[in-house]
Amino acid sequence: MIRHNEPTSLAVKAIRAFGLVLLAYAVAMTFLVPLGPGLDKVDVMRSQITDEGGQYELRITGLGTHFSTSHPTVFIAANNILDGKQTVLAATQIKVADDTHLQCKVRLPKVVPAMSWSVYVNGAGDGTVSYANGFYATGLEALPKSGLKDDRDVLSNLKEADLPFHFPFQPNIMESIRNLMLHVPMWFTMFLLMGISFAQSLRVLRLGGNPDRDRRAVAAVKVGLWFGVLGLLTGSLWARWTWGAWWVDDPQLNGAFVTVMVYAGYLVLRGSIQEPKLRERLAAVYNLFGFLLLVVLLMVLPRFTESLHPGKGGNPAFSSYDLDSALRVVFYPAVIGWMILGTWMYAVALKVERLQANIHEARMRQGTWRTQGMLPAFLLPAQATQGGQLEALFFANGKMPVVLGVAIIIGAGLTVWWVLHLRRLRQLHSVWDALPSSERPSEAELHASATTPLQDADITKP
Amino acid sequence: MRHTLFLFRHMWRAELKSKHGLAGLLLFAVATVYAVYQVVQGRPDPETWNAMAWVILLFTAFNGVSRSLEEDRPEVLAYLRTTVHPIHYMVARMMHHVAILAGLACAVAAFMGLLLGWATLDGARLAAFVGGMALTALALGTTLTLLSLIAARAGAGFGLTAILGLPLILPIVLVSTSLGDDLIHGVIVADTAIHFAFLGVLALGSGTLGVVLFPYLWRAS
Repeated sequence: MIRHNEPTSLAVKAIRAFGLVLLAYAVAMTFLVPLGPGLDKVDVMRSQITDEGGQYELRITGLGTHFSTSHPTVFIAANNILDGKQTVLAATQIKVADDTHLQCKVRLPKVVPAMSWSVYVNGAGDGTVSYANGFYATGLEALPKSGLKDDRDVLSNLKEADLPFHFPFQPNIMESIRNLMLHVPMWFTMFLLMGISFAQSLRVLRLGGNPDRDRRAVAAVKVGLWFGVLGLLTGSLWARWTWGAWWVDDPQLNGAFVTVMVYAGYLVLRGSIQEPKLRERLAAVYNLFGFLLLVVLLMVLPRFTESLHPGKGGNPAFSSYDLDSALRVVFYPAVIGWMILGTWMYAVALKVERLQANIHEARMRQGTWRTQGMLPAFLLPAQATQGGQLEALFFANGKMPVVLGVAIIIGAGLTVWWVLHLRRLRQLHSVWDALPSSERPSEAELHASATTPLQDADITKP
Repeated sequence: MRHTLFLFRHMWRAELKSKHGLAGLLLFAVATVYAVYQVVQGRPDPETWNAMAWVILLFTAFNGVSRSLEEDRPEVLAYLRTTVHPIHYMVARMMHHVAILAGLACAVAAFMGLLLGWATLDGARLAAFVGGMALTALALGTTLTLLSLIAARAGAGFGLTAILGLPLILPIVLVSTSLGDDLIHGVIVADTAIHFAFLGVLALGSGTLGVVLFPYLWRAS
């Protein structure tokens, strides 16, 4: 028997409070920090191709921009198809419709250095916002030596950005960049918990003897699996409105799915063995095998292959290019906060496991053992989402509803977890208290957590 | 090494003593290929051919490793425990499984070729494809050996091996299928070396892990 009602020490309470503060800060920042301005769309309204060249009328849609007050200038730039040298060209006849819409004209000669042009809008306050490859010069011809004059002087008097603290604008991702603080920490927390489980399984094999190590391993896996499933659901929702599909065939996604499957397999394996000693050891062996392979599969292999997912195959997530400092000051506290919450949940799950084991043992003594309804390891609300209205809703407002959806999934998932576990804990406590005191082990017995050393520890000898 | 080879020879002798064991596996492979042949009616397109080849190999492999072993009998297990070093045993068992799976891979490839044609493979690419199948058999054999032994110890057979094994071998399957895909679409053999390297690394990694972890399974509780 092991003590299940150990009081939480002050230091642990302080750490948890600190974690909650970090989480509150991170969630508040996630939703309150504004998104920087950016370009949402560039449309070619009209084009006129003559022998001289082409004239294009562009309509530029911004998001969070202030065109009507910023006196914007527009220019386009292309990299020479041969040597990559940039050519800049100013747009003319800029007509501002409102804060987020403007129209302008671009005149190009018949021969251009490249077909694909990036569009830039510079204005007071907003600074320079861009849309990569936003404009394709249909009907012209791309040659390395085009002789197109470079309008370098456009770049000499650009207006500076003057913006409050904001998250960077990324085309296509837009507002949903906030999901970085919600979706990514799920996986970080899962890795931490699986790492705890790995360490405990290692101890089961190296030291053996103490069933509490096994309970720690399984409690960590159960909580970690919960985070993994939340990570999958939130990632799926995010993917739907950035990549266009609920699931794509991608090494990183496959790895994540395999992780969840392997740990579900771990629970199945445990369920199929009755004998506790054997279960402890087989589960530990499988856990080590699974975890080490996963490190290879999730952290090594995807880096060598192409992937849509940031952080993999030439698609960096943590370089200065991608993760800017405004995101960092929210992201790192968020990760630490979620990890502290994860370990807290692990402590609760461990308490449930211990109490269950103690009650089981007391009942065995009592001789009136009977099965009790166990909670299913994971129970998640199914996502039934279809239809064109939803489509429009989630695309609305710079994909902000995607962030809300992700937050709701995580909030609901964690709430369900806490409600189930606290209820379970209360239920177990009442069962424990109802046991006749003669059957209940004494305090001294609870303290003496049996640490019998392994009999045949020297296993390498034949 | 001497002990390992002795055990390996012993396992083969035991295998050959019951003739229905290997013949049953071969029959399973042939019957699956034949069923696919009946379903697709003639020559499938190369992508389907590729997918079929690996899926058939995969299922045959699961069959190959999760058969009952003589050690399932407690008295045999008790005897082996007192006489055999677990690492020798594990290496011998892995060699045994890899040999069976490599043979099955070649058989699957041969029957696929016979009934369904070789898709677009010929010459060096065909050789590379069969080599890839053999290497996949090596990786599958090393990974599935430990899992099938876990399942055997748990007293559950094929079903548990599949549940535990399928997620873990998914990466092997992904590398293999993309290797097959490359070869079918005419990528030159030298450019597929990275896939072979990955398969080799996976086989080596899971083999090492299996050997390191197996002694913990071997112990009497």
